Amino acid sequence: MGFPPPIPPSVLALAPLLALVAGALLALLLEAFLKRKDGELPAFVAVLALLASAFFTVVSWNVGTSGAYLHGRLLVDNLALWVTGVLVLAGIAVILMSLKYAARQDMNLGQLCGLLLMAVAGAMIMASSSDGLVVFLGLEVLSVASYALSGLKRQDRASSEAAAKYFLMGSFAGAFFVFGLALVFGTSGSLDLISGLSPAASASAFPAAGAVGFGLILTALFFKIAVAPFHMWAPDVYEGAPTPVTVFLTVVPKAAGLAVLFRVLLPLLRDGTAAAVFLPALSAAAVLTMFAGNLAALRQKSVKRMLSYSSIAHAGYLLVAVVAGNAPSLVFYLLVYLFMNGGAFAVLIAMSGRGFEHTSLDDFAGLGRRHPWLAASLSVFLLSLAGFPPTAGFLAKFYVFGAAVREGHVVLAVAAVLASLIAVAYYLKVIVVMYMHDAAAEAAFDRDNPALFLVIFLGLLGVLQLGVWPGNVLNLIRGAFSAF
Amino acid sequence: MSAMLLGLPLVSFVTFLPLAGAIFLVFLRGGSVRAVRTTALAVSVLTFVLSLVLLFAYDGASGLPELVERSSWLGGGIDYHVGVDGISLFLVLLAAFLTPLALLSSWRAVDDRVKEFSFFMLLLETGVIGVFVSMNLFLFYVFWEAMLIPMYFLIGIWGGRRRIYATTKFVLFTMFGSLLMLAAIFVLQAAYFRGAGSYSLTIADLAAVPVSPALQTWLFLAFGLAFAIKIPLFPLHTWLPDAHVEAPTAGSVLLAAILLKMGAYGFLRLGLPLFPAAAASFAPALSILAVIGVIYGGLMALVQKDMKSLVAYSSVSHMGLIMLAVFSLNFEATEGAIYQMLNHGLSTGALFLCVGILYERTHTRLIADYGGAAARMPVFAGLFLVAMLSSAGLPGLNGFVGELLCFFGVFAANKTLAVLSISTVVLSAAYLLWLYRRVMHGPLKDPADLRLRDLDGRELACLVPLVVLMLFMGLFPGTFLRKMDSSVARYIESLRSGAPVVTALDRPGGPGVEAAALAEPER
Repeated sequence: MGFPPPIPPSVLALAPLLALVAGALLALLLEAFLKRKDGELPAFVAVLALLASAFFTVVSWNVGTSGAYLHGRLLVDNLALWVTGVLVLAGIAVILMSLKYAARQDMNLGQLCGLLLMAVAGAMIMASSSDGLVVFLGLEVLSVASYALSGLKRQDRASSEAAAKYFLMGSFAGAFFVFGLALVFGTSGSLDLISGLSPAASASAFPAAGAVGFGLILTALFFKIAVAPFHMWAPDVYEGAPTPVTVFLTVVPKAAGLAVLFRVLLPLLRDGTAAAVFLPALSAAAVLTMFAGNLAALRQKSVKRMLSYSSIAHAGYLLVAVVAGNAPSLVFYLLVYLFMNGGAFAVLIAMSGRGFEHTSLDDFAGLGRRHPWLAASLSVFLLSLAGFPPTAGFLAKFYVFGAAVREGHVVLAVAAVLASLIAVAYYLKVIVVMYMHDAAAEAAFDRDNPALFLVIFLGLLGVLQLGVWPGNVLNLIRGAFSAF
Repeated sequence: MSAMLLGLPLVSFVTFLPLAGAIFLVFLRGGSVRAVRTTALAVSVLTFVLSLVLLFAYDGASGLPELVERSSWLGGGIDYHVGVDGISLFLVLLAAFLTPLALLSSWRAVDDRVKEFSFFMLLLETGVIGVFVSMNLFLFYVFWEAMLIPMYFLIGIWGGRRRIYATTKFVLFTMFGSLLMLAAIFVLQAAYFRGAGSYSLTIADLAAVPVSPALQTWLFLAFGLAFAIKIPLFPLHTWLPDAHVEAPTAGSVLLAAILLKMGAYGFLRLGLPLFPAAAASFAPALSILAVIGVIYGGLMALVQKDMKSLVAYSSVSHMGLIMLAVFSLNFEATEGAIYQMLNHGLSTGALFLCVGILYERTHTRLIADYGGAAARMPVFAGLFLVAMLSSAGLPGLNGFVGELLCFFGVFAANKTLAVLSISTVVLSAAYLLWLYRRVMHGPLKDPADLRLRDLDGRELACLVPLVVLMLFMGLFPGTFLRKMDSSVARYIESLRSGAPVVTALDRPGGPGVEAAALAEPER
């Protein structure tokens, strides 16, 4: 084997993570020592680190490093690699979106890049472990970086409020996780979540304590994914955070949390007695999340807040894939969700200028006439979020809901389908305003932002290609998860 | 002929040529409105010419789908699989025929954002043709849903005063039905997998292995709801008058002429063949709803003050008759239903064009604002009259043939419902002729008003092809019916073999159905 040079698998397995951490430290150092604070050098470093991470992920995939490393603390399997891929793509998209945005909103780009890389690294750790302590480590790295990211717009009260809220609520969630882990460890004697939660372990001397521990761990994960009824913090934080950070918050923690949830719950799905308890609970949470998100989104006057609620609803759809125990549809939905959700927020960023952002529904009036391409792009993203064919959003829903029906969760699928109908109403409301209302005033618009337009273009490409001709991606995913 | 075309993916050409044209339009400079209009028209005319080639290439002797193209797409039973048979062929032609006329009719009526308008019209054409040619359930659903988007924009941007309310109602009503259909598709897919051991969403495969009767009931209800909303079947019709009244003329024409047919086509292609047992047990109830629709739509049309909503309610009435014929489950009725779908497309399309022509001149659709228009517009009066009589079913015109076939079939299935549904002849003659008298005859409403000038060349080009076709279909129905015969016979046979024997006896007109089944198609 000439290229890539033979790297020991254990190094290769850690390489995506190491690249990110190195990039994060370098970006923070550059920020500290560079004379010009508004330079884009940290962003280049960060993108390079992410690309390196992506490269190692692909190499790792091709070489086939599947297995457990570091005494079983780090699992590299296809689920971990796919989720890592989504996380890295999300990181690149967020940095490209914030290049101009950071300067215009008086945000420190260097800090943003460093924190973002750390957060992605934390999410990556979560996605590739089943060890309770390692998952907690990842969770905290992700969370602490996220708190700081939400408050990066320091002049802005909403941003600071978001950071404070997120920190307060997130600390509780972290505490729940640790307490739950302690209970599970106490009853089963294992820190590994899969074996600790297995029916054999819960049949120990203190089954009730084990069940409470399990519940607490689930609660913490639900909080991270923003699953109802633990989603109350999410709209305020998503709305208050700087918009590129919102993209990050609506994709990365959800993807990492769902990966953990899926990994931990999948063995239990195979077990009749355990599944009889937690499957109804999980289904109820999914239905509640879809309806809570969609019904609240109906009443929003701000597009940013509406998209925040919509992202909560999408967590509900993603949870359906977990209930169905179907990894391919979960991964495909995550990938599509990144493209359509990120694309929609990217258009929102394009509507901002120095020191202000247009997020109110009225600001979009007549956009179809003033900026036809921007309005058309947002329409495609919204139609995809709403699940209209031939966009990728439809195909993603088709696979998730179809998997649920195949596993016998027909009622859940019907509920999901009805929730999507509610969603159609508010997504179309934005399109109505853009195309069917007349502009009140000329809202300013950020023309000179090639990186942002690249993101929007790639988003469009992703949403349409994955919707019409996803053959290669589907084959890759199908090949990856035949084991599941 | 077909040998010559063997290598060409003709059906795909017809389906996707409008889409290609629409994409081309996006990159055309928006400044030249004329170039945009001409390009769109040329693309749609070319599509129609190609669809004529399709007509000649289609043999129709076997009744099986022809010109089939199939290639793997997403895997898991989801293929790109298209073709035409005697049931879908003429609906494709109808869509390809009416789109250029609709584009031509909006030559002057639409002068705002012409590029977007033409773009969505062509997109809509691809959507509806795609629904008719799909032979895979997934593909069918994709087109069925995708077609909503252009219609949503057409009504919402170029519609009347309450356009946003109307278009949102239209989309939400339709989505409600089709999302439940999506859930039913999942269940069907899983059930087929349990039965056959492999995944397939090919419609023919699914029809070959019917699911258990208990499951059929649920699935038929879900599919049926989607189709019934689209048709629309009473009492799910409330979106239709709103959408029609607010839509621009071209939108109304395509909505009435083609989109409503998708619901009836859905029953013929999916609802009945996939769930024959459930269809047979629900047929009486649905037939009664259809008859209520016939009478209710007719009575509502009588009292309308707005010409467009009058035509809209007449659609409810006429579609009711078509559905009654579809649920009669025999050869004559089914063939009559398909023929009547084409007739309704032509006559209602023509009526909406006529209303649009009047509206362009006076900017009012209220019947009370008109009177004596025939004096100023003699040519228009003649063409309007033919369209109206075609809709009312005058012998010699196409509507008569279709209604007669429908009544034959319905009568064989259920005499009471047949008698009740014949009221449509009286009702439609009443509301249409009364409309004609009030608008065209009598003294001129305002002799000083010179806006009522006769048709110009463009408007003639819109209406004359429709009227000529109405006459032709009235005088030579065999030309069309011959290509449908074997497909319809095959369809009826498949319904009979799939449905349990008991259901035919349970139905009110049970013995009659058997008699009709024995009568071999002649011609």
